[in-house]
Amino acid sequence: MSKKAFLVVDDSATFRQLLCMSLTRLDGISQGDITEAVDGQDALGKVRDNNYDLVLTDIRMPNMDGLEFVNKVRTELKKGDLPIIIISTKGADEDIEKGMSLGASGYLSKPISMTKLRELVSDCLGEQA
Amino acid sequence: MTQKTEEILSLFSKSEELLEMFRKGRAFTEELMSENERLRYRIVQLEREKIDLTDTLMKEVERLKLENSQMSQKLEFLDTRFHQVEEENKDFAQRYIEVEEQNESLANLYVASYRLHSTLDPAEVVLCIKEILVNMIGSEEFGLFVVDDETSELVLAGYEGEIAQRLERGRVAFGEGLEGLVAQTGQAFFTEDAGELGEVCACIPLKIKERVVGVIAMYKLLPHKGGLTPLDHRLLELLAGHAASALVSSKLYALADRKLRTIEGFMNLLRVR
Repeated sequence: MSKKAFLVVDDSATFRQLLCMSLTRLDGISQGDITEAVDGQDALGKVRDNNYDLVLTDIRMPNMDGLEFVNKVRTELKKGDLPIIIISTKGADEDIEKGMSLGASGYLSKPISMTKLRELVSDCLGEQA
Repeated sequence: MTQKTEEILSLFSKSEELLEMFRKGRAFTEELMSENERLRYRIVQLEREKIDLTDTLMKEVERLKLENSQMSQKLEFLDTRFHQVEEENKDFAQRYIEVEEQNESLANLYVASYRLHSTLDPAEVVLCIKEILVNMIGSEEFGLFVVDDETSELVLAGYEGEIAQRLERGRVAFGEGLEGLVAQTGQAFFTEDAGELGEVCACIPLKIKERVVGVIAMYKLLPHKGGLTPLDHRLLELLAGHAASALVSSKLYALADRKLRTIEGFMNLLRVR
């Protein structure tokens, strides 16, 4: 995998760390390629100022949740091509459907399966992870 | 007279012709006999060749039959080996998945233990345990109980779901209910189902050596999490060990910090006087 930039958004430091560790287990991704954000607002600022290849965001967060973040990235920042994966605590709930309709590229359910994460990252980046 | 002489001469001439014909006939007959001899010899030769050829062909057929049989055996062996290798491949693929799952669990355990021991604030430790139970184990409804040494009861320190409404005063006596029983015996309890009926699906004691300092009771798992695997059980028990030491050390630190502040307050008061 060529050098890519990732943004991980979650209010839980434990989950952020877990997600970062999971990403670094994929070929060619190092800790230095990953930026963390604590909520949607923080992430929105980072997406505005930087170019990321993939964003992974939790849905339920304080200040700005994942759904609002996806909506703002697509409508305000006009970044329609940026792949965004939403992460839900519950398996198949309304949040996922809403997130997908707002323009999310895919979704994962907690606890995250490494196989699914690998597949989804590969799909979103259009290459073998 | 002349006529007779002519007749005699004619007769001579005819006899000469006849003789010539006989001579030619003789030569032709001799030629035919010689050809016949040659052909008979050729027939004998061909018959001999035919016998030789049949022998050669028979030998060749035998050789090919043997070769065919050897090839069949080889094919059978290769077919068996192919199936063996196919089975081995399947086995390796399965092992790869298992190793991947174990790696995932180890990564989870590493992050969980790192997070648990990264703070000395008891509230943060409780929050961290809650995050681990939701994000890593996939629990939707659970209760974290800590032992109150003064009353010998379990006190609800953190929860997710409706457990608080079900518990009177947020306390459970030792030996009472499954949570109390697990606290009393120090033995973990796991059920096969995912807790859809709202009953306890896992209850793990938080122990430091043999001393129980708390209990984690999981009442319901997330819908997509079918149940707890043996690997989950092991992971939960390891996490429980880390959670117990993190809880106790943060409580002791908070207590020591409070005492230190009190003593410092007294010292300051004495200095002022």
